[in-house]
Amino acid sequence: MLRTASYGMACLVLYLIMIAPFTTYLKNKPFIEKLGYVPAVNVLKSVAVDQKELVSASFVLKVLMYFGGLAEKQFVVPPDYQSMSRLLHGAVKLDPYNMDAYYFAQSFLTWDVHQYKLANELLDYGMKYRNWDWYLPFYAGFNCSYFLHDYKKAADYYTKAGELSGNPLFKSLAGRYLQESGQTDLAIAYLFTMAQGERNPALKKTYQTRLTAFKEVKRIELARASFLKSGGIMPVTIERLIGAGLLTPSPVDPYGGSFYLQADGKVATTSKFAFGAAKKDSE
Amino acid sequence: MKGGQRSMKTIMQITLKGVFRDRVFHGIMVTACAFLLIPVIASLSMRQVTELSITLSLSLISFILLLLAVFLGGTSLWKDIERRYTFSVLGLPLSRQRYLLGRFGGTALFVLLVTVVLGVAAFVVVLYASIIYPSERPIVWLNMAACILFDALKYILLIAVATLFSTVSTSFFLPVFGTIATFLAGGVTQQVYEFVNSPAGDKLSPVIRQVASGLYYIIPNFGAFDLKIYAIYGLALPVNGLLLTIAYFVVYTGLLLSAAAALFARREMR
Repeated sequence: MLRTASYGMACLVLYLIMIAPFTTYLKNKPFIEKLGYVPAVNVLKSVAVDQKELVSASFVLKVLMYFGGLAEKQFVVPPDYQSMSRLLHGAVKLDPYNMDAYYFAQSFLTWDVHQYKLANELLDYGMKYRNWDWYLPFYAGFNCSYFLHDYKKAADYYTKAGELSGNPLFKSLAGRYLQESGQTDLAIAYLFTMAQGERNPALKKTYQTRLTAFKEVKRIELARASFLKSGGIMPVTIERLIGAGLLTPSPVDPYGGSFYLQADGKVATTSKFAFGAAKKDSE
Repeated sequence: MKGGQRSMKTIMQITLKGVFRDRVFHGIMVTACAFLLIPVIASLSMRQVTELSITLSLSLISFILLLLAVFLGGTSLWKDIERRYTFSVLGLPLSRQRYLLGRFGGTALFVLLVTVVLGVAAFVVVLYASIIYPSERPIVWLNMAACILFDALKYILLIAVATLFSTVSTSFFLPVFGTIATFLAGGVTQQVYEFVNSPAGDKLSPVIRQVASGLYYIIPNFGAFDLKIYAIYGLALPVNGLLLTIAYFVVYTGLLLSAAAALFARREMR
């Protein structure tokens, strides 16, 4: 009895000694390892048997945890978007109704990876199944108008979103996107809708940061329009607008970059609306 | 009630009592504590908290029922033979067939009972999650009930498979691992059948295609019993398809039990 107890105590002591380095090892494991490898969809379907929806949900949660962890660290390590995309594509093949997968894929495939066509292909796939959901055509419409400048297709998507939701917002969006200034309004409306419905703190913060940035762009655009109207010429720099008293307070890019006016007068920022881009440029 | 039926009912009752005596139900209740975690895990979802809580609840039920079907179905008869209970029981005025059916019926009844208890727990969990995080899409409770019921039918069919393996096996390996293998194969037969009959399947040799098609009709098709998608997203249930699935369940279970009864009647007891 005494011998068994001493063995038990020895094991407990050894456990306490090794648990700290073991936890540190797992915590510092490279992110790519944390996302893991996704087998071919047909293999997955066979292995998942009657738990396809569960496996699909677990893929989405895995990506979400990974992204949330990086967001907490202010993206010191660039996210592995390729693996994230692969996992989310696997998730919708297993459960084509999984809204979390479409929603999250839309959020990073467009703004961060600039894979607009891939995002829309995924949304089109989702629309075949979630035929009651106005969010998918809304996202696809936004991608078409804002990123791809395919206004005809955007109108089709917005019409579909309007029919499904009964929301007049889509008609007003469709009317505005043809103007250049309407593009910023469109982005603000889109980001506001996304941020409003978001429950995940990491993603909500991402949307709110981008929304703040676009509101600043809108302020600069309004000041630029006033400058043009009063002086008859296009301002060359943001400082001219500030100096003329049209832009108070000075615009602040939440991504850490600096706003500037391009040669054609379009508002741009050195951060390219992403954390780390401004730093990379300065290096 | 005739004497044979009465004795079969007695075997069913003994089986049920035996399962409770082995504290299987207690074990299930402990495992069912995982239901308490479901609303917390589901709250991680961005756009479908209620849908995720339904997914997790149904998956947990399915997993528990799978374990029950494999281990109770695969060991119930084998244990009796191993412990030589069959000698004393079959010495009574009771046919082997009725004894076998009684054993099967008792296990199936226990699975149904567990399904009802876990089903109620799942309903409470989903209701709670939907109150805290209201879903954009209404929950169709009937679909959820149908999904849980068809899950129970699927695992009762699996118990029949386990019973069939038990009649010819001298150890628990064949009933347990044979049942697991049948479950895995039965979950993908539809997919394999569709693949070999698609244009992509033309590349396969005709022998493989014929073997795959033959196995499709022999191995139980569990895919038909999976209604999770309908329950999670509130899609319209295919009523005709469900009636056909019930008919398939009755006929296939009848076939398996007939084969099991015939084999058990001829089995040499040592």
